Amino acid sequence: MSPHTAGWMRGDQPVQDRDAIFEQLRATLVELFELDPVRITLEAHLYEDLEIDSIDAIDLMERLHRATGRKVGPERFRSVRTVADLVDTVHQLVNQA
Amino acid sequence: MRQFIDTGEDRTPSRPIRDLYYLRVVTTGLSFLLFGLVGTLLGIVVVPLLLVVPGGRSERQSRVRHMIRLAFRALVGFMNQTGAISYRFAGLASLGLRGQLVIANHPSLIDIVLLIAFIPGAACVVKRAAWRNPSMVVAVRAAGYVPNSPTDEMIERAAALLSAGECLIMFPEGTRTVPYQAAHFHRGAASVALRAASAVTPVFVRVRPPHLSKAVPWYRVPAIRPHYSLRVGPDIDPAAYRDRPAPIASRALNEYFKSIYAAWVPTT
Repeated sequence: MSPHTAGWMRGDQPVQDRDAIFEQLRATLVELFELDPVRITLEAHLYEDLEIDSIDAIDLMERLHRATGRKVGPERFRSVRTVADLVDTVHQLVNQA
Repeated sequence: MRQFIDTGEDRTPSRPIRDLYYLRVVTTGLSFLLFGLVGTLLGIVVVPLLLVVPGGRSERQSRVRHMIRLAFRALVGFMNQTGAISYRFAGLASLGLRGQLVIANHPSLIDIVLLIAFIPGAACVVKRAAWRNPSMVVAVRAAGYVPNSPTDEMIERAAALLSAGECLIMFPEGTRTVPYQAAHFHRGAASVALRAASAVTPVFVRVRPPHLSKAVPWYRVPAIRPHYSLRVGPDIDPAAYRDRPAPIASRALNEYFKSIYAAWVPTT
């Protein structure tokens, strides 16, 4: 298991629960964007509250791709507004067949 | 013929007020007409001919780029000879290198024409409108230029060109700037540079008086003949920024781009 996938997958099994995914996402967002962890709540808007723009979204998609081994399509990312949406997206991603 | 030789001096030449104003309205208009005509001719005759000449994809692309370069050279020559503009491009020898990202500020509609005319083999990120313009669409497609958008597709295509060893031109401002106003730099260029550029080379474009700038119709030419001064700055090594997470690195590199242009851009 690569260090990137730690926390996202348990062995070959995806992490099922959203809380764990949220914690992992928070750590990723803090690392990538140097955000204060307290700002990262489920309700926080990526664009308005966290100032994550479309170029950042591309970097984030790539990071998620490396972390989960699954490609996040841009069309899927387009509907993401809040951290909660992101958690849902990752949840679907790691649990898809 | 008029004595309008490029002085080679990096300043707006002092000339009488309303220096051949009406002639320049006509020659500027003719330049637009030529651009459309040559573009259409390239699209319906030259590019199709070039594409049937045998060769791989990259050979075809480089033939088309070469043809566009010649056409733009001719257009720049026409504008210079007829007095519509004068120009000076200093430091050309350090452009057109393998995997080089050339960035430039974007005060005028024809900055890209000058850059393409003088940088051999370069690809560029061009506004999407070119793909909807009948006189341009065939050439921009066949040349393998990249349509601009803040999407992963643009970033990946631009990075792939650099990885393949091509030279790429981008305007970090994305669109033309309003004269005398501080420009907003989008991080797309920095992001592309971090992914794949071997070096980033800035070109500083100055047009005095402002010419073919945003929100000014082409026929409102300045009172004196506009002078284009393009100067190549020292290379920036993107590798120095690759030690940190991508979003932080692209912000830092973009801030650096902004700072060198802010330090350079004359305020008068």
